[in-house]
Amino acid sequence: MFNRGKRGQATAFIIAALAIVAIIAVVFFVSGPRGGLLRDDASDPRAFLEGCIEEEFRENVELIASQGGELNPEGFIVYKDKKIKYLCYTNEYYKTCVVQQPLLKEQFEKELGRMLSPIADNCANNLVDALERSEKSVSKGEVKLDVEFSPGKAGLNIEAPLTVSDEVSRTYKNFEISYASEMYDLLAISENIVDFEASLGDSEITAYTQYYPDLIIRKDKLGDGSTIYNVENVVSKEKFTFASRSLAWPAGLRGE
Amino acid sequence: MRYKDKMYKIGAVFLLSAVILIFAISFGSAVEASVCCAKTIDGLSCQNVPQSQCPSGSQQAPTSCESTSFCKPGVCYSPNEGTCLDNVPRDVCNVNNGTWSETSPAQCSLGCCVLGDQAAFVSLVRCKKLSGFLGLETNFNNKITNEVQCVLSVQNQDKGACVYEKEFENACLFTTKANCDSGIDGTGKGTFYKDKLCTDPELNTICGKTDETTCVPGKEGVYFVDTCGNPANIYDASKINDDAYWKNVVRPEESCNLGTGNSKSCGNCNYLKGTVCRQSETGNRANYGDNICTNLNCVDSAGKARKHGESWCANDVGKKDSSKNNVGSRFFRHLCLNGEEVVEACEDFRQEECIEDKLVTSEGEFSQAACRVNRWQDCTSQTDQTDCSNSDRRDCAWINNICLPKNPPGLKFWEGQETQQICAQANAQCVVKFEKGIFGDEECSENCECLTDSWLNEQISTCNALGDCGPNTNWVGSAGNKAGYTLTK
Repeated sequence: MFNRGKRGQATAFIIAALAIVAIIAVVFFVSGPRGGLLRDDASDPRAFLEGCIEEEFRENVELIASQGGELNPEGFIVYKDKKIKYLCYTNEYYKTCVVQQPLLKEQFEKELGRMLSPIADNCANNLVDALERSEKSVSKGEVKLDVEFSPGKAGLNIEAPLTVSDEVSRTYKNFEISYASEMYDLLAISENIVDFEASLGDSEITAYTQYYPDLIIRKDKLGDGSTIYNVENVVSKEKFTFASRSLAWPAGLRGE
Repeated sequence: MRYKDKMYKIGAVFLLSAVILIFAISFGSAVEASVCCAKTIDGLSCQNVPQSQCPSGSQQAPTSCESTSFCKPGVCYSPNEGTCLDNVPRDVCNVNNGTWSETSPAQCSLGCCVLGDQAAFVSLVRCKKLSGFLGLETNFNNKITNEVQCVLSVQNQDKGACVYEKEFENACLFTTKANCDSGIDGTGKGTFYKDKLCTDPELNTICGKTDETTCVPGKEGVYFVDTCGNPANIYDASKINDDAYWKNVVRPEESCNLGTGNSKSCGNCNYLKGTVCRQSETGNRANYGDNICTNLNCVDSAGKARKHGESWCANDVGKKDSSKNNVGSRFFRHLCLNGEEVVEACEDFRQEECIEDKLVTSEGEFSQAACRVNRWQDCTSQTDQTDCSNSDRRDCAWINNICLPKNPPGLKFWEGQETQQICAQANAQCVVKFEKGIFGDEECSENCECLTDSWLNEQISTCNALGDCGPNTNWVGSAGNKAGYTLTK
């Protein structure tokens, strides 16, 4: 009776152990580190690159969007331990600000492109490795990356000349991938707010909500006359944060 | 003797000159010359700063930036996006590959850009760009000169089913007549059926009914969608299999009634009433499809129901329209946006005040608030009550025959001399006359009220009304550690 119980217990342990191993294996194969083995499937190079870059793309967009569009901003204010770039600034009182960053979308795209280029290169190298592991001969040229935001999406054009040869030879010049993103609208609205700040010294945020139902704009006026704007799409949860100092009023008459 | 006098005079003149020179040098060093700096040590472009804040490598000129060539403000045009931005320094625009001009260039002229059943009041290049994004032909009208006209111009466009032939089948697109006439997907002009849906069996198209829904850009409601991806009528669970509901366009006012929002069976959202189409979340799903009317209204921190877009005033301690402006307090505007109560501070040191008014609508009151500049600066210079109370010019009140700020400004009393100068305006001297009696006792005969507590309190309230002056408490309710005034007899 005792032996039988012991044997039954051992069987239960073995079954539990096998189940755990099976679960770990499934988790490893399906999600794995950075997409795991599924991403190593290089039969579709475009999908491979799309999967490889996506996480870094999202992280980098979030990072530079939280700092006014630059990785290392010049002309910034420290707000909640973050350097927020001034898109419009005047150091004087009673004056409207001078625009510090025109063509915001283009600048954002350039900055993001600079940050993602080495990642795209790394992903292209991973693709070459994966193809070579499947006994294909691969030659790769220099990798270049361009980012362009448009309404509802971000398009990445990866210029990565690849020639893959096994029984047949295939040549790829560039890969066009896109991710869903509302950053285009957020940047356009931010530039519009900057225009108001530069011409009128302030902006009325409720005016935007009439046209953009998915938008929340938060404004934090600081003691030195700076304003921190946070423009958020409540559906996609994407945000863009920037600073402005315009038409600042001193304490008292002269701020002394 | 004459020679000695002359020498004394020369010596005196020299000494005086030296003193003046020393004063001049010290004065000169105290007020540093201001320059227009292309890039300051803080990395900011085109600022008028003291020379020490402008690095030697940066372009600079001993004049204001408006007068320089490199920092002259103007309009920066983006040739790629077709947008224009004002007040941009020349070099800042050029470095960013923009096209700078002193006055607004012709490319920045606005017109009406028709984008299907929507419109945007933008420049021609911008119109081309937006049309490109939507796969539409550019339809730009520069005769329309304002945004309202532009929006109205597309509102009464005929819409309906546009049937066209594609791969030997009758394809259909729900669009405007103008779009249908200009051809769909390069297939040539389609046949337009006003107010008809693509699912109408009489049109004999490939599009059929589904139980899916969609949110349509520019519209508030949840719409049924057909098998071709066209929006049909407003989502109404009771009419999912009603053939008549899939034939003709039914206007929102003739569609189902949403009631309080978040309805699982009706998608007739109304943005002005605080509902809009959104993807449904777990636990709050519509009976059919993935979209639902989401309630955007709020309940504020005081527990009051607020509508989406409503705004109202508050101060630091949450007391609305508090008459006491404590040290460090400021005004705030609260807003209800997308179901969230957003707090927006007005300018610090009470340099802005919050104003509020209410609109009475059929749906009840709608509160609107704004931060506005506090025009307190010239109150004490007014000697006439009418001038003092002129709300077009200033925000003052006539109290005890003195013109005082309605909302006293905050002051940086911990630095500089300005606070002393402002608060000193409340200094008051009252000469009280006493008459000595026969037995040596004194009796007040003139200005006796100055000896009372009410006189003292009046002076204190005048002092308080000038700014952060006199005895006061701060915004967290702690009293100052000094009396805040002195009374000498």
